[in-house]
Amino acid sequence: MNKSDLKDYAVVGKPIRRVDGPAKVTGKATYAGDLLLPGTLHGKILRSPYAHARILNIDYSRAMKLHGVRAVVTGRDFPGVRYGFMPQTRDQLPMATDKVKHYGEAVAAVAAIDEDIAEEALDLIDVEYEELTPVLTIDDAMKEGAVIIHDHMDTNIAASSKMHFGDVEKGFKESDYIREEKFTTQRVSIGFIEPHAVIVNVDNSGNVLIQGSKQSPYITWRHFCRAMDLPLGKVRIINPYVGGGFSGKHEALDLDFAAAALSKKTGFPVKIVLSQDEVIAAFKQRHAKHVEIKIGMKKDGTLVACECKMIAEGGAYASVGPFNIVIFATSGLLLPYRMSHFKYEAHRVYTNKPWCGSVRGQSIPIARFAFESLFNMMIDDLGLDQLEVRKKNSILSGESTINKMTVGTAGMVEAIEKLGEMIGWDGRKKKKAPYRGIGIACSPQVSGARMGGHFGSSAVVKVDEDGGVCLIHGGTEIGQGCDTVLAQMAAEVIGVPVEEIRQMEEDSDVAVLEAGMFSSRCTFWAGHAVKRAAEDACQQLAEIAAPLLEASKDDIVFKNKTVFSRKNPGRAIAFIDLVRNAYYTKGQPIYGRGSYSASNIPMPDLKTGEGDVTNAWAFFAQAVEVEVDPETGRVKVLKSVCTRDVGRPINPMLLDAQLEGGTVFTSGQALYEECCFDEKGRPLQNSFLDYKMPTVMEAPENEHFDIITDDPNGPFGAKGAGEGSNGTTLAAIANAVEDAIGVRIKDLPITPEKILAILKQRR
Amino acid sequence: MTYIRRLPSFEYVSASTVKEACAVLSNNKGKVKILAGGTDLLVQMKERKVVPEYVIGLKQISGLNKIEENGKAGLRIGTLVTHHEIARSPQMQENFTCLAKACEKIGTPQVRNLGTIGGNLCNAGPSADSAPALLALGAVLTLQTGRGERQVPLEKFFTGPFSTILEEDELLTFITIPHLKGKSGSAYHYLTKRTAVDETLVGAAAALSLKAGDDVCEDVKIGLCSVAPTPIRALKAESKLKGKKLTDGLIEEASRIASGESRPRSWAEYRRDMVAVMVKRAVTEAWHRAAANKKGSGK
Ligand SMILES: Cc1cc2nc3c(=O)[nH]c(=O)nc-3n(C[C@H](O)[C@H](O)[C@H](O)COP(=O)(O)OP(=O)(O)OC[C@H]3O[C@@H](n4cnc5c(N)ncnc54)[C@H](O)[C@@H]3O)c2cc1C
Repeated sequence: MNKSDLKDYAVVGKPIRRVDGPAKVTGKATYAGDLLLPGTLHGKILRSPYAHARILNIDYSRAMKLHGVRAVVTGRDFPGVRYGFMPQTRDQLPMATDKVKHYGEAVAAVAAIDEDIAEEALDLIDVEYEELTPVLTIDDAMKEGAVIIHDHMDTNIAASSKMHFGDVEKGFKESDYIREEKFTTQRVSIGFIEPHAVIVNVDNSGNVLIQGSKQSPYITWRHFCRAMDLPLGKVRIINPYVGGGFSGKHEALDLDFAAAALSKKTGFPVKIVLSQDEVIAAFKQRHAKHVEIKIGMKKDGTLVACECKMIAEGGAYASVGPFNIVIFATSGLLLPYRMSHFKYEAHRVYTNKPWCGSVRGQSIPIARFAFESLFNMMIDDLGLDQLEVRKKNSILSGESTINKMTVGTAGMVEAIEKLGEMIGWDGRKKKKAPYRGIGIACSPQVSGARMGGHFGSSAVVKVDEDGGVCLIHGGTEIGQGCDTVLAQMAAEVIGVPVEEIRQMEEDSDVAVLEAGMFSSRCTFWAGHAVKRAAEDACQQLAEIAAPLLEASKDDIVFKNKTVFSRKNPGRAIAFIDLVRNAYYTKGQPIYGRGSYSASNIPMPDLKTGEGDVTNAWAFFAQAVEVEVDPETGRVKVLKSVCTRDVGRPINPMLLDAQLEGGTVFTSGQALYEECCFDEKGRPLQNSFLDYKMPTVMEAPENEHFDIITDDPNGPFGAKGAGEGSNGTTLAAIANAVEDAIGVRIKDLPITPEKILAILKQRR
Repeated sequence: MTYIRRLPSFEYVSASTVKEACAVLSNNKGKVKILAGGTDLLVQMKERKVVPEYVIGLKQISGLNKIEENGKAGLRIGTLVTHHEIARSPQMQENFTCLAKACEKIGTPQVRNLGTIGGNLCNAGPSADSAPALLALGAVLTLQTGRGERQVPLEKFFTGPFSTILEEDELLTFITIPHLKGKSGSAYHYLTKRTAVDETLVGAAAALSLKAGDDVCEDVKIGLCSVAPTPIRALKAESKLKGKKLTDGLIEEASRIASGESRPRSWAEYRRDMVAVMVKRAVTEAWHRAAANKKGSGK
C-alpha cells in the first residue's frame, strides 16, 4: 500500500492482533473435541472396507452384548431422505443403506461408555457384502456399458455444463496464433489439523443440540434437518472454535447423523471425534480434472478466443460438483482477461472414491493452472513479454466480460506493474542463474458468489448500559480471522477499541447464520451487515446525543469513546454517559440491526453461465521463484510475491497470512500431494506420515503489496480476498519450473521424478 | 489400509536392571515388547501390527542413556540415548558428523526428544536414518541376554525389513563406535520422499580417512538406507576408493558403483539414480572434512 492510500481510520486497515489469538495460543480456546456434557457417551463409526459393494446384511447382536455398549445404529435408523447441495443432485444419505459407494463410507455406528469399548464393538458388527466392480477413473465412469454407481440414475455423469459466448470458430479464424494443450490435475486431500468432531444431544422432547467443528454451520443445519426430516426449529447448532476448514467442513457428515441417532436411541449426549486417518481416507478431496484448452491470440498477444473441455472426477456423491464446473469457466477462465469468444463443455462424473466438492479456491486454481500455463507458453512462443501481455489483456474498472459479468473496480493492471517492480522483472534476463526460474500468474476472486436459497447476511450490535458492545453475526471463525475483521469494522463505526467488542459462539437460536464460509465471502457480506448494525446503533445514540450537544444528529461523530458534533469537536460527551442516558433517562436499550442482501445479483444461471455472480471482483498477481536441483529434480520454492487489489484490506496482516497460507497450501498440489488408491479403490495413505503436505519448512519467503481501489460496493471499500493466492500459485509454480528447466510439465504434481526424467532425456 | 486405532490393552512392566528385563523377556517369549521412546512401537500397536501382552520399559535402568568414552574401543552410546541428544552434542557434530546429521534429520523435535538410537536400530526399518551413519562409522552392538552378552558388528544385525538377529529374550544395550583414525571426516546426505519432515527416500553416509599429507583415501565406509530390504554397506564402491587418490571423477565412478549395489523396490529407477547423487555428495563432503581436519595431520 502506498502512504497516500492511508485513510483516517482508527482501526480499519490496521494490522491489529487477532482477537482470538490469546485464547488459541494459550490452549484455552474450546474446540468440539474438548466438549463434554453430563452423561456423554462416545461413538465410533464402522466404515466400509470396499469401494463398491452391496450390503446384504448387518448383524450387530454380538456388539450389543459387549459390556458398556449402549446402542448401535445403521442406515436403516434414518428417514431415508436424500440430501445434497442442489435439488437436482440430492444423492446422499446419512449412512449407507443398501450400497456402499466408496471406501470408508459409514455403515454402522456404536455408542458406548468409552472410546475403547466403542471401538472394540465395531469388530463385533458382522456385515455381509457383495463386492461390485469399482468405478475408479474417468474412463471407467464414461465408457460404453460402464458400471452405474447410483441405482436411481442411468449414467455416471452427475452434471454437465455447456457455454458459448461470441463465436469461437470465428474467433480462432481471426487469431494469428492458436495452441491447444491438455492438462491433468490430481486429487488432493484438504488437510485441516482438527479432524471432524461433534457432540449431539437429543432431549426428551426431541430437540437436537449440535456442537461440532463446522465451517458453515448453516449448511450443516439445513442438510441435517432435511435428512432427519426435522423442522429447523427442532435443531439448534452452536459452533465452537474450528481447527481449520479449507472448505472441508461445510456439510452435515456421517458423524453428525450417527451421533444424533445414537443420542436419540440412548437418551444421552453422544460425542464422535474422527481420527485423521478416517478423514484422509474417506472424506472430501479436490476433484481430479482433465482439461483440454485452446487459446487464440493476435501476434501482439491480444487474447481473442478460448475453448475448453473439462472433465471432473468427483467420487461417490455430487456435493457442489455441478456448481464447481460452472465456476471453473465463469470465475476461472472468463477473468481476469478480456476475450471476445468463449466456448466451454464440462462434465462432472461419479466414481467409487471419496466424494469431492469445494476445496479452498473451489475450481479456480485448476482453471487458472490450465489457462495461465498455456497462455504463458504462447507468450513465450511469440517472443513477447509475460507481464506486458498480461497487462494488455487485463480487464479494467467498469468493463464487462463476454458472459455479462460486470467488474466494478479492477486494479489488475496496477498489480501486474507493481509485481514487475518488486521482482526486478526488467533486469532479470541479464542475470538469470541456471536452474532458477520465475513464474507469473493472475487470478480473479469473487467477493462471495450468490448461491441459491438463503444468502443474506445480518448482524446485531447490542450496546450494554456501561458502554460495552456485544456483536452478534452469522460468520464463523475458522482461523481465517473473521471475528477480528468484523470487530474492527464495528469498532471503527462505534469509536470504541476492538478489545471492547464481545463476540460469541455462532448459535442458530441467536444469530441469523451466514449462508456459509465459502467463496471469500465473509468480510464482504457479513462485513456489510456488521457495519450497518453498528451504524444503526450509532444512529439511535445520535438521536439522543443531538439535543444534548445542541447539534444535528447527522453531524454526530463517535470516536475514542467520546461523542461530539463534527461542527464543534471541542464539546464532547463520553460514550458511556450517552449510553447511560439512553438506558437510564430515556429507558431506551440500544440494539442496532443491519443486513446485506445483494439481491441485485441474479441467481447465477447454471445452464448458460451468463450474468453476475458477485458485487465485487478482487484481483491477484503472483510471481514465484523456484530453484531446481538438476541432479535430484527437487524444486524449492524460494520466494513468492503477491500483489493484489482487494479494494481495501481491513487487516493487512491477516490478509498477508491468508495469502501466504494459500500459497503454501497450493504449492503441495503443484509439487507432490496426491491421494493414491489401489486397484480396488482403497486409499494408500492414512496419516500425515504418508500423505505429505507442505509445512513451514517448505514455505517460501513472502512479499506483498496492496493496490487500493476502495470498491464502492464493499464495506470500507473491501472486497473478498481469502482464496486469492490459491488461484495463482499452481500456475505460477508450473510457469516457474518451465522457466528454470526449459520444459513444460502438464500433469500435476510436478514431481522430482518427472523433472529428472526430462533432464536425463536432454543430457 | 489399516486404520490407526486406539492402543490395545497391555500390562506395563518397568525393569530396573538389564537382568530383570531379560528375565521378563525369557519368561514371556513372543508376548513382550520392549519400549524405548515408543515412537515406532506405539504406532505399530495402534495399527495392530503388534499386540504384545506385556510392554517393558527400560527407563529405570541406569547407564543406558549415556554417551561415554570407552577407552580403546571408542565411544559407547547407550541404547536409550535420544536423537536429540546425539544431534546437539558438540562432540558428535565434530567427530561423528554423519551420525549427528542423521539424528538431526529424524522426524520432528517431538520425535527426536522421545525416539532413541537403539529403538531406531531394533525397529530395523529399511529407512532408519541412523543406520547408514553407524554402518559408515563401523559401529559394534552389545546384545545381552540372561545368559550373557555378545558383540556384533552392525552390518550383521539386520536380516530383513523390520527383522534382526535379536533373540526373543535379547536386548540391545550399547552401541560402540571406534574413533576415526588420522585425518578423517564423515557426512550424511539424504533425500526425503516429499517434504522436509518425511521418510528418507535415499540416505547415504560416508566416513573416510586420508593418508597423512595427501588426498589418498586410507579407509572408507559407505552406508545406505531405503534402497534395499535393510540398511546396507556399499562395499564395492568402498573398494573403488580405498587406497586411491581421491578426485571428483573417481568419486563419481564409485557413486555409480554404489547405485548398482542398491536394490530398491518402489520408485526404483529414481532411487537408484539418487543413490549415485547422495553417495557422491556424502563422500565428497567427508573428503573435504577430512582434508580440513587438523587432528592427526602431524602424526
Ligand atoms: C512422526 C514420526 C517421524 C519419524 N521420522 C523418522 C525419520 O525421519 N527417520 C527415522 O529413521 N525414523 C523416523 N521415525 C521412526 C522412529 O521415531 C525412530 O525409528 C526411533 O528411533 C525409534 O526409537 P524409539 O525409542 O521410539 O523406539 P520404540 O518405538 O520404543 O521401539 C522400536 C522397536 O525397537 C524395539 N526396541 C527398542 N529398544 C530396544 C532395545 N534396547 N533392545 C531390543 N529391542 C528394542 C521395540 O520393542 C520396538 O519393536 C519417525 C516416527 C514418527 C512417529
